[in-house]
Amino acid sequence: MPSIKAGNITKGCYILFKNQPYHVTKADFNSPGKGSAFMRCKMKSVKTGQTQDFTYKSNEMVEELDIQSLKMQFLYADNTSAVFMDDRTYEQQEVPKALLEDKLDLLTADIECYIMLSEDEVLGVSLPPKVKLKVKEARDAVAGNTVGQARKEVELETGLKLQAPLFVKTGDTLIVDTDSKQYVSRT
Amino acid sequence: MINSQVIKDRAKITGLIRGFFTQQDFLEVETPLLVKHPGTEPYLEVFETELKTDRGQTARAFLSTSPELSMKKLLGEGLGNMFQICKSFRNGEGIGDWHNHEFTILEWYRVDADYTQIMQDFEQMMVYVLEGLGRDMVIEYQGNKYDLSSPWERVSVVEAFEKYANVLEKDFFSADALNKHCLNEGYSGQKLNYDDAFYWIMQNKVEPYLGRSKPTIIYDYPVSQAALSKRKKTDPRLAERFEVYLAGLELGNAFSELIDPVEQKSRMVAELEMRKALGKVEYELDTDFISALEKGLPETGGIAVGVDRLVMLLLDKPSIQDVIIFPVNQIFKKELNK
Repeated sequence: MPSIKAGNITKGCYILFKNQPYHVTKADFNSPGKGSAFMRCKMKSVKTGQTQDFTYKSNEMVEELDIQSLKMQFLYADNTSAVFMDDRTYEQQEVPKALLEDKLDLLTADIECYIMLSEDEVLGVSLPPKVKLKVKEARDAVAGNTVGQARKEVELETGLKLQAPLFVKTGDTLIVDTDSKQYVSRT
Repeated sequence: MINSQVIKDRAKITGLIRGFFTQQDFLEVETPLLVKHPGTEPYLEVFETELKTDRGQTARAFLSTSPELSMKKLLGEGLGNMFQICKSFRNGEGIGDWHNHEFTILEWYRVDADYTQIMQDFEQMMVYVLEGLGRDMVIEYQGNKYDLSSPWERVSVVEAFEKYANVLEKDFFSADALNKHCLNEGYSGQKLNYDDAFYWIMQNKVEPYLGRSKPTIIYDYPVSQAALSKRKKTDPRLAERFEVYLAGLELGNAFSELIDPVEQKSRMVAELEMRKALGKVEYELDTDFISALEKGLPETGGIAVGVDRLVMLLLDKPSIQDVIIFPVNQIFKKELNK
């Protein structure tokens, strides 16, 4: 397991904190006016999902987990897990739903996912920054008396519901940001 | 680009801030952003450029990290209570939710006053701004409620270290004792100097408790961390400096301004030495600033507030990237996202 300087921690990497694997969700450099460099991190326990804040001095050493990243295709999800398949070896991999957090309703078979493993244990799933999803239902709507943007709720093929512009119709394919789960544009 | 409603709301907020000061007859000033002598803080880095004239004369020039030195020179000219809302520039920063290399700073100075009057100014300013926005004193930010009505919570740094980090008052000034605390709490690096150990504990153990439901004014910092502020008469190891925290965000940094030219000069010289030792961009001491102090400044309280962060709080935005028009990360997208 490689050791890195805390100053090099980046969002998305996996590290050991108090001997447990954590996924770094935020890594902000901070130089308090009268102090030298620190790295403020927000991380999530891979095992328990609990979030943890910690500020490292930039030159503290941190164990970074050796991640293997395998490209896989989403097959289906059942009560407890989502099943992916390596499309070269046809090997299947189960990923506990908890590790997918709220990304389950972004997954379709066409999306390029990467399963992150460390020593054969699944740590998480990485999705591309944007995905294409078809609109299952979009009712016609008229702009109301609103100063802000006129939006309506549409339902996508995966069950995901989001706010989209009024001109979106059933059958349209939308581009959705996987981080914010928000409408980006139509294709 | 950021939401256009945010841009409009932001303009309203800065208008209200301006109104708060002008209706109290504070003078609005515009001091140079292009300067010869930036401040001497050892841990801030500067943007450097070159001044050129049509006759081929050149000079090293820098973008100011704060209008403080210029405004204090004006105080030396007897201009009295003043404020400024302007851009400041800090290089070498990380790109994140709370920083942009170019940001908007609000500084105000009140004469015949010290930092306690500035605390009241800040409380009053927020009342004025919230009323002007037609909002309640209790705001919601990222799912939590915060009561901005005065008085805000006040705690001294020593008290906060004792209460939240279990650092006893007798250990507070000892680098060794603070290092021991850091090691106990999970620090795993080399021995830290006093300021670094202080900040490690501050960020990990104390800050999470500040500004949790009301803004917290945390005051009286060790003097090594307040080069431009007066020492406390009752304890010269401490300086009359306070910061305001809300929802984990540091909103402002205030001082009873140091007006003794001898002490100020020696602190600044030490800071410039430290800049050199840290490999930071070097520049000379602002002797005009020291001369202004020699001419004599009134007793003054002053503060610098991050306006972008105030806007974040008032508009419930999780990131400074959501409230700045064309932030650095966007302008330099290609270079910064390699």
